[in-house]
Formats: sequence, C-alpha cells, structure tokens
Amino acid sequence: MRNLLNFLLKYNSFIVFLILEGIALYWLTSGNSYHNSRMVKGMQGVTRGMEERLSNVRSYLNLREINSKLASENNALRNSIERFTSQENLKFISVKDTLFRQQYQYTSARVINNSVNKQKNFFTLDKGRAQGIKIDMAVTNGKDVAGVIVGCTDNFSIAISLLNLDFRLSARLKSNGYFGSLSWDGRNYRHAVLNEIPQHINVSIGDTIETTGYSAIFPEGMLIGTVSDLKKSGSDFYKITIELFTDFKKLQYVNIIGNMKRTEQLELENQLQ
Amino acid sequence: MINSILRFGVIIIILILFQVLVLNHIQFSGYVNPYVYIMIVLLLPSLTPSWLVLVISFLSGLVIDLFCGSPGMHASATLLAGFSRPYVLRLISPSDGYESGSNLSMAVYGVRWFFIYTLLIVLIHHTALFFLEVFRFADFFRTILRILLSSFFTIGFILLIEYYGKRR
Repeated sequence: MRNLLNFLLKYNSFIVFLILEGIALYWLTSGNSYHNSRMVKGMQGVTRGMEERLSNVRSYLNLREINSKLASENNALRNSIERFTSQENLKFISVKDTLFRQQYQYTSARVINNSVNKQKNFFTLDKGRAQGIKIDMAVTNGKDVAGVIVGCTDNFSIAISLLNLDFRLSARLKSNGYFGSLSWDGRNYRHAVLNEIPQHINVSIGDTIETTGYSAIFPEGMLIGTVSDLKKSGSDFYKITIELFTDFKKLQYVNIIGNMKRTEQLELENQLQ
Repeated sequence: MINSILRFGVIIIILILFQVLVLNHIQFSGYVNPYVYIMIVLLLPSLTPSWLVLVISFLSGLVIDLFCGSPGMHASATLLAGFSRPYVLRLISPSDGYESGSNLSMAVYGVRWFFIYTLLIVLIHHTALFFLEVFRFADFFRTILRILLSSFFTIGFILLIEYYGKRR
C-alpha cells in the first residue's frame, strides 16, 4: 500500500496526464458528427450566443451584396411564376393538390459559425428541429451545393460542409450525364475532386458539374462547379479538379432543402437488399 | 501570490478570446492558421506544480475545442504540450539554472532561450494537433508542410506579443 502511494506521488503528473489525455482522445474518437450536434446543445448558452452576435455584425457588412443577390433571385422567381400562371390559363386546368406532386420543400437559414481551413469543416445554422430542420436535409447557397445537415437541436443545426474529407456526393457532367463521386482532397477551399469518370468520355475544361439526385438528399441538377483541371492518371479514370461555385469563405445565407419522398424512396431501395 | 494568479487569469482569458474571436477568423491562404493560445502553456511561472500545468492546459484546450467545434483535438494536443513542458525546460535549462519564482519570459532569459523554448513547445503542439485533425498518415508530407507553415506563423506571433507586450 505504501509502495503504491509512493508510486502515485512520484508519478502524479504522469497519471493526471494519462487520465486527461484519455478523456480527450475518447471524445475525439467517439464519432465526430454526433459530438458536434451534442456540443451545440451544450454550448448554446455561451459560445453560440457570442458567435451569433459576431455574425450579426459581419452580416451587416455584406448587406449590399446579399441585397443584389436577393433581387436577382426574386426576378428569376417572378419570371417562373409568370410562366406558370400563363400556362395554367392556357390549359384551363388548375391542380390544387400540390401536396401530391411536391417533392422538395425549401427554407432558408443563416450561417452563424463556419470554417474553411480545417480538414473536416462543419458549419452551424440558426434554425433547428423547432423550425422543421431534420438530419439529412440538403444545404445549398442559392442553386449551389454547400453541405448536408448532420445534427440538429431545437434551435440550431450543424451541417457537414462540402469541404470535409468525409463528404461524398454523387455528381455528374451536365453535358453528357456521366456520373462519378465528388469529394474534397483537403487542399484548397475553392476546389474539389470528381472521381470515377472513365477516360473514354469527352471532358473539357469549363464543363459544368451538377448533382444527380441518386442519394435522395439533393434534388437533381443543383450546381456544383466547373471543371478547372483535367489529368489522365495511370488508372482508367480521370483525375478531375472542379472549381466550386460556392465560396465557403463568404457563406452567409443558405437554403435548406427537404425531400418529402426520401423515406419512401429509401424504403423501396431497402426492400431489395 | 494572489496578484500573480489574477494576472495569469487575465492573460489566459485575453489569449483565448484573441484566438477564438480574431485568429480563428483570419485564414492566410486557407492553409495556415496560427494557434497562439499555446502561449498559455509557455508563460506559466516555473514554480507552477506540474499537475496544475496539465489541468490548465487541458481546460484551455477544451475551451478552444468548444469554440472550434472540434471534439477533443485541441485539448489533447495542448495537454501533450503541457506534459512535455518540464522536460523541455530541463533540456534547455540555462547554465546557472532557473531563478525560483521567476516568469519564463524573454526579458529574464534572453531572446535566444525564449525562441528555442517556443519552437520546441509549438512544434510538439502543432504536430499533435494536425495529425489528430487529419487522423490518417496518408498525405504525410502535406501534413508536415501544414505543421511547419502554421508553426512559423504561431512562433512569429508569440515572439511579437512577447516582445511588445513587456510594457503591460
């Protein structure tokens, strides 16, 4: 007993070190996104409040740009309404049952915490479960892909950014429809990589990349970026670098898209497995 | 005693706020992010018991983690730096030893000593931090490059703060 006590006294700092390091590493390894969402809940009081205040200041500084973007979006929407209503007048039919046909619902949120310089980036939004946000909803910046919701609390939610080593997205070339898998290589926050495009396909610099909608998260045809570099590697596939449309450094207001038929699609797909 | 506890409390709070409110939002070229809060570990007086160094470094890492949204990364890296601090101090001790109760500052032990001290601690901290961040050994040399670049900026910041902060 005395020996044990002596031992503990002699190496007390080493034991403290081991215990604390154990706690930290346990926290680190037990699931990133889970803990991120847990953390939002725990830290709402202090850090999020502070970040919200800071982001208020920052969003004020960018009002001019956001205004012009909103105005152009308004114009586009007004145009589509115009097209829609005039068509209806022509056909003399109006379908009131929108619930039946509508697949995606849209809402918007503000980014209150964001990063681009880590290897695994997440951003925090100021809406949560109480406002109808759920896990696996798509996050876009206008029509440009930004991320996917991975955790929410009552009033906040966390989204995995496209700029995350763990992020995968099914994407295709707009010109010919061939699809591959999009990921981020952790190098530059303006560029991502498109894999699995075989070399017999014609790809040229400047081609647009869009989403496929296979994952039942993003609607089909959301924009991702343009091909900025193209390499033929030793394997059968191209190494395609994409310049992203979304500038994550100035991400402020985002759209959140929920797929109302997602569970139905997943259920059907699971039946086959 | 009370005075120095108060003084270091203020220094710790200022460094953490400076880190989370200013430096975390400055991103040189998307690659480099200086983590100057490691100065907390550097500046603790030489008489601080080693378990207290560990607890303080763990807690300050934890606070940074909460602000960065990264689970345990900064806590474990800062803890490692705090753990290696006594060994680093022994390794580079000046020929006439440390004066008991003095601050480990540039003013007392000279620019060259302080630079080596900072260099070693920052390298230990950044190496642990960046490898924990990617959590894989693929792209080994790119991680090394990120460590070196960020360490360079961190050390620069720390030396500047230490040099100009003397008149506080």
